[in-house]
Amino acid sequence: MTDTPTPLVDVRGLDKAFGDNHVLRGIDFAVDAGTTTVLLGPSGSGKTTVLRSLNVLETPDTGIVRIGDVEVDFARLPAKGKGARAQIARLRAQSGMVFQSHNLFPHKTVLENVIEGPVQVQGRPLDEAVADARELLDQVGLSEKAEQHPFQLSGGQQQRVGIARALALRPKVVLFDEPTSALDPELVGEVLSVIKELATQGWTTIIVTHEIRFAQQVADQVLFLDEGVVRERGTSAQVIGDPTQERTRQFLRRILDPG
Amino acid sequence: MRHARRLLGLVLLVLVLLPAGAAGAAEGERPVVRVGTEGTYPPFSFHDSDTNDLTGYDVEVIKAVAEKAGWKLEFVETTFDAIFAALDAGRIDVIANQVTDNPERQARYGLSDTYTYSRGVIVVKTGTKGITKLSDLKGKTTAQSLTTNYADLAREAGATVEGVEGFAQAAALVVQGRVDALINDNLAALDYLNTTGSDDIEIAGTAGDEVSEQKLAFRKDDAALLQQANTALAALKADGTLAKISEKYFKIDVSVENSGDADLSGGRAVRSDAEIVQDAAWPMFRALLIATIPITVISFALGLVLAVAAALANISGSRILSGIARVYISIIRGTPLLLQLFIVFYGLPEIGIDLPPWPAAIVALSLNVGGYAAEIVRSAILSVPKGQFEAASTIGMGYWQSLRRIVFPQAARTAVPPLSNTLISLLKDTSLLSVVLVTELFREAQNAASSAQTFFPLYLLAGVYYWVVCALLAAGQGRIETRLNRFVAR
Repeated sequence: MTDTPTPLVDVRGLDKAFGDNHVLRGIDFAVDAGTTTVLLGPSGSGKTTVLRSLNVLETPDTGIVRIGDVEVDFARLPAKGKGARAQIARLRAQSGMVFQSHNLFPHKTVLENVIEGPVQVQGRPLDEAVADARELLDQVGLSEKAEQHPFQLSGGQQQRVGIARALALRPKVVLFDEPTSALDPELVGEVLSVIKELATQGWTTIIVTHEIRFAQQVADQVLFLDEGVVRERGTSAQVIGDPTQERTRQFLRRILDPG
Repeated sequence: MRHARRLLGLVLLVLVLLPAGAAGAAEGERPVVRVGTEGTYPPFSFHDSDTNDLTGYDVEVIKAVAEKAGWKLEFVETTFDAIFAALDAGRIDVIANQVTDNPERQARYGLSDTYTYSRGVIVVKTGTKGITKLSDLKGKTTAQSLTTNYADLAREAGATVEGVEGFAQAAALVVQGRVDALINDNLAALDYLNTTGSDDIEIAGTAGDEVSEQKLAFRKDDAALLQQANTALAALKADGTLAKISEKYFKIDVSVENSGDADLSGGRAVRSDAEIVQDAAWPMFRALLIATIPITVISFALGLVLAVAAALANISGSRILSGIARVYISIIRGTPLLLQLFIVFYGLPEIGIDLPPWPAAIVALSLNVGGYAAEIVRSAILSVPKGQFEAASTIGMGYWQSLRRIVFPQAARTAVPPLSNTLISLLKDTSLLSVVLVTELFREAQNAASSAQTFFPLYLLAGVYYWVVCALLAAGQGRIETRLNRFVAR
């Protein structure tokens, strides 16, 4: 990763509307390699749309996304055609995605879930991919579950497989879309600790979450989104510890003290 | 639109490949003449109960004609009511099936010299009073093949005509008292009485005084074949061959006028129901193995490809593609399969698409299955959560790869039970294929039934065959469902 330009991720002027609903209104931010970025914000603020735009699960109307040395200018991206698909595929290959509802493939075993991308898409040799996958499963504490199917696992275990599946593609950045929101409270901790672990190993991550305590502990950068714009940005100490905007303070009060 | 074009290509490929497999009859040294005959009209055209070979007076006559004329024969069996359509559509070149001369047929077809002189007779249930001549049929009901000369006689006499597929069916209706009478060839009636040993029906009288003449029928524009046939018939009459064939079946020479009373008592033996079933068991099983099952399998496989194409087109988001898919599905589901078969086999030749029986059957059945299964496949694909498509995308899969590796295996779980229904229906629907000249299980049962002049034990046997295969299919469905459900929490 030493050759890639700095910062690793660069987002400029992201704009997106669903019909009349203008969800992103010019989002700019940058992420340095090896850092953890947390996106906070009330529901409907656009944070999930930003994250999905990086993986092109949503296509922004305008704006530029660069990850590593792959840059896509959405204003110039044709609506369809081979060229557009190739550009999207290249950008998509730069990141891995962990979904709120894990979206594991139910008809495949845990191991098959993890090696599906490396073998079928990246064309890596099976034995190499399997060895890699077993190492990743070991890292998320599930090496003995490799031959089981997703339905045999708990929610937390399923989400950890989801993380292993994203890492198996060796992406430059890992995207987390509310990875613990669908989990029972007692299962949240095991997933967060895996994500924390990634930060110490040098992975670059961008996380949408409502876990403020977690954000305080791991985030190098926090972005507070509201109505499709970045209201406030800085270190977690700045944005969470000492917010300057009234909207941020309101949001944090509601999250931290729901009663 | 990329997917759209691939889909369209796939569908076109299927449609183009289907007929290609069955192209062109080879040109031998001798011309191939295709003979249309019922195969269910003893003693003229029927299957020998021992060998299951097609035989009978008309069959032997046309073979003798071919010998003299230097033709190579290919027999095509079909019901009488489809036989002139087959001649018109160019699926056969000559009819050898006791075609009675009349002015309408003279006007439309090339009729040969006479090879049978016979009388029509009225057949009634034994003991019936008051029906001895044609005029007695006024207000009565008779059972006939609709396009026969005898049906015309019955109508002219003021009878209501119930359409049947052959003599044996008509006889059964008379025996059962469902119709009052039937009119048919004296020789066919005698054969029935002789073969069945039945005294349930009797010959009540002649159908008019005129002797009728039976001839080979060609297309009007096939003058050369007609000419060769007449030359051959004259030679066969002269050298006594025709008389010899006739005497084998009727003890008299029916190829000349006023030869006396026919005697069919030395003909085919009376058989018990057990013997009839025994004789027919293997030919019917063979038809199941070489026609019913392969046609079902091929049509189902091709139908599934069409169904997947139509389902993907329907959900593609392209208005043109989903429009095409919806019209296709609507037409298939909105019209009877029998009609679809007739259109593909008898209709398409008129616009230059001339498919032989097997490909025609497979095209029609595949299109039918495709239309029905398309909705099953569509709802099965839509039952797979959107997150699965997204997860496949994020690990870098393209459209087809996602479908093949992620979506279809999960959709299969939803689709297998209703698709199994479709498959089982398809297997049974193949019993319609006798109308497009495919000799499958049910057609073979009809052959055996008409040769034996009895229905019940043979249709029962056919029913058992169908049921056993369907039961096996249902068992297979259970196993597949268990397999597909193994990764789902219950």
